[in-house]
Amino acid sequence: MTDIIEAMDRILKDTDFVLGWTLDEDTGVAEPARFHSSEQAAQAVLDSTCVHNLAVHLPRLKESTVGIVAKGCDARSIVQLIVEGAVERERVKVIGVTCAAGMLDVKAIWRRHGYGARIDDTGDSLSVGGDRVDRNEYLMGKCRDCGAAAPVIHDELIEMSGPGRDSAPTSSGGSNDTTPDGTLALKQRFDAMPAAGRRAFWREQFSRCIRCYACREACPMCFCRDVCTMQTTDPHWAGGDTNARESEMVQLVRVNHLAGRCTGCGECERACPVGIPLMLLLGEQNNIIEEMFDYRAGTDLEAKSPLLTFDIKNDSWGGG
Amino acid sequence: MTTIARTGMKATNPLVPEPATVSEVIIETGNIRTVRLTFDDTETMKNFTFLPGQIGQLGILGAGESTFAISSPPSQKEYFQFSVMKTGVVTSAIHELAEGDRVSVRAPMGCAFPTDDWKGKNIIVAGGGIGMAPLRSLVMYLLDHRADYGELTLVYGARTPEDLCFEADRDVWEQRDDVNFISTIDNVCSGWDGCVGLVPSILEDTAPSPDNSVAITCGPPVMIKFTLQSLERMGFREEQIYTTLERRMKCGIGLCGRCNVGAKYVCTDGPVFSLADIRDMPDEL
Amino acid sequence: MRFLAEEKLEALLHLLAKSSSLWTPTAIEDAAGTVTFEPWKPGTAPVLDRFTTLSAKELLLPATEKLFSFTYSLSEGEESVEIEPEGQTGETILFGARACDAKAIKVLDALFMQPAGEAYGDDQYRRRRLDLTVITIACTTCDAACFCSSFENGPAEKSGSDVFLYPVEGGWIAEGITDRGGDLIGGDSFTDSGIDPPELVVTRSVDIAGLQEKLPEIFANIDFWQEATAKCLSCGYCTYTCPTCYCFNIFDEMRSDREGERLRGWDACIFNLYTRETSGHNPRPTIAKRYRNRIGHKFSYYPANQGETLCTGCGRCIRGCPAGLDIRDVLTGVKEL
Repeated sequence: MTDIIEAMDRILKDTDFVLGWTLDEDTGVAEPARFHSSEQAAQAVLDSTCVHNLAVHLPRLKESTVGIVAKGCDARSIVQLIVEGAVERERVKVIGVTCAAGMLDVKAIWRRHGYGARIDDTGDSLSVGGDRVDRNEYLMGKCRDCGAAAPVIHDELIEMSGPGRDSAPTSSGGSNDTTPDGTLALKQRFDAMPAAGRRAFWREQFSRCIRCYACREACPMCFCRDVCTMQTTDPHWAGGDTNARESEMVQLVRVNHLAGRCTGCGECERACPVGIPLMLLLGEQNNIIEEMFDYRAGTDLEAKSPLLTFDIKNDSWGGG
Repeated sequence: MTTIARTGMKATNPLVPEPATVSEVIIETGNIRTVRLTFDDTETMKNFTFLPGQIGQLGILGAGESTFAISSPPSQKEYFQFSVMKTGVVTSAIHELAEGDRVSVRAPMGCAFPTDDWKGKNIIVAGGGIGMAPLRSLVMYLLDHRADYGELTLVYGARTPEDLCFEADRDVWEQRDDVNFISTIDNVCSGWDGCVGLVPSILEDTAPSPDNSVAITCGPPVMIKFTLQSLERMGFREEQIYTTLERRMKCGIGLCGRCNVGAKYVCTDGPVFSLADIRDMPDEL
Repeated sequence: MRFLAEEKLEALLHLLAKSSSLWTPTAIEDAAGTVTFEPWKPGTAPVLDRFTTLSAKELLLPATEKLFSFTYSLSEGEESVEIEPEGQTGETILFGARACDAKAIKVLDALFMQPAGEAYGDDQYRRRRLDLTVITIACTTCDAACFCSSFENGPAEKSGSDVFLYPVEGGWIAEGITDRGGDLIGGDSFTDSGIDPPELVVTRSVDIAGLQEKLPEIFANIDFWQEATAKCLSCGYCTYTCPTCYCFNIFDEMRSDREGERLRGWDACIFNLYTRETSGHNPRPTIAKRYRNRIGHKFSYYPANQGETLCTGCGRCIRGCPAGLDIRDVLTGVKEL
């Protein structure tokens, strides 16, 4: 952990505090924390349970100069926030972390093995509650085909040390369909569905939505928050009923508002209390945006989201 | 805490309103209108009783409900009224109302001014702007029971003459010699030959004695703040000072959770509180 | 005591579902391991080895429900409006609640079942509650989020339950808690039993004594609340999955030009919009102030007003918080101030 502690120490000199992770003694996994001093920085950890995308806090901390520890995927959110003017580059110092082996799907592990079941990730092997399990099975969905292990923005750059460094994430092309959250199996089944089947699938999924908006609150890019068009009363775009029809409207509008902006961090899905596989939808859309506009959100500080800059007179749809 | 028995409300589901009809709309100021209402059900109208300070939920079915003080006195049996400032979706819809339109009403709710405890005392009422709405009900109640109370002082202020509500009532209060009524505006303006100055300072100039007195104030937060300071300077104790609190409300019956200040719910424990009550609350106004 | 054999369970569920709407913990397909209480379908086995993600509160306070419908009509130039209150509910049985879920119902009863006259109570809650039977599975295991042992009786808390089922080899020992529960286990699915019920689990315990007085005392210590909630996203996961968080919103939806409904739906004190007034003023404008109110409500205001702590230690808020915020740490922090 010396890399992260030293980097944090340096960044603390130029910032009010640093957003990072510390160890939750009860469960032995990382929990988000704010570090104000070198003393506190000594408690910083960096391992394969640092699942949270801390960039979500940045738009709310405009009064402060903030240091932030960011994995490659988190760094994409920071870039996109800067591109959209929601965060000032000068007010954020990034400790970039090159992620080697992906993050563990802690939520899925605990839903299967019980909350707080001890997670030991040695790098070579993963055991949960003392039982050896297949590490690849328990990787976060987004880590399976990660193209952003190295942070695109950083003021300090460190490599993930310790657990998991030497093992490489498997690609989504594998035959692994036994993930605890069924992500892979679901993706394959979904891809094979005809359009009508997909519609029915999403109706079923959205029928569970309880309209808590945790997806929005956990999303770094949903920084409109309290002026979200899905909750305004005037105009009244979406009804408040928790039925499939209204929830579908709300969810699809959110997804559409993230077109060319979603960096694929998966926090919406992780926050969803009822397990709606939102990344299936957002991932699909992200692929379409990439095909149409050759654009991946949060990968270039100079680039502008195509859907934020589209000029109806002069631009044409990418890909014809 | 002031204890006043809740009155009225039918024992059926208190979240289901009674239909009512607009009998008259009075344009008070540029952004305040008074709607006079009668319940469609004649029995409901006949049995409708409340006390000054109590509130109700006025709704436009389809737009929603909002909470307002009842601004008519209990003695007015022909109708009851709410005075509404236009601020959002529901209040804008209320401003569109015309005679004969249908609305939904849940009332009365909350605790009233403890007028029974005040019998034999001098009463000082200080209102500002739309804050006069609950105070109108109170003043008219006191005048209905004039013999039960001592001296009655009423200061009512607004920014400009055009921002003063209840013109007809003001004329009546001006005429009566058993009420010391002062209406005031913030700044000198042509066509106004009345009092000029902010409510707290006019109140201090008037200098009613705190002995055997209670003071009631309602208005914009900044006016309340300075009026409370003036009253304390004048020697009023916290127990002698009353105001009404405003909070966002939905249910009006202590269930939905949003109007609490610490353990107290403005909708059921209030909206009327003494300054002593408020000083016991956490600082979250 | 009575005994329910494992192989009799399905027959019992069939029987219960005949006369009532029967809800059981159900694993949801394609939902990342989500388990929720759902209307039972023949052939599905209740999930009894995992905790449900959502609580059972929706049986009494649905996520959204109609309060009444209204219709505007014009006849002979006169506009009129009809208000039609929501009708009766039917008998409901909740099978597979935990002691903390059942206790939560008891805790909510303190507010929502107040007798008419003394306070308002809640008509629709009351009707559903009177029609509800709760069959609780006693906990012989727990996870690291559970903390029901912080409260009197812990996992042995019987209030809110009609029947307690203790897991044993080959089935469950059944104890009738209420008359209704006693009648239910008197049926043919159950046999007499002399077996002693098993030991119940002991969960982690948080010292909550004195919080009712302490929380108002430390109300003004905003630095503590800011520090304690620094990682909170105010996403509402905790409030929406909590069995005792009951805050609601009331709003109208038009179904056509002339017809509409007034609904109520879950809301949360942790949301900015919850208390923000039209003027823009918000008495609780920051996450720290809103979270302070949530803790204050649960451990001070509700106990002061209703005589019950508004928390049963179910641990859902801990299990699911996307930011890893643990209410137990906050409570311990308050105690240490």
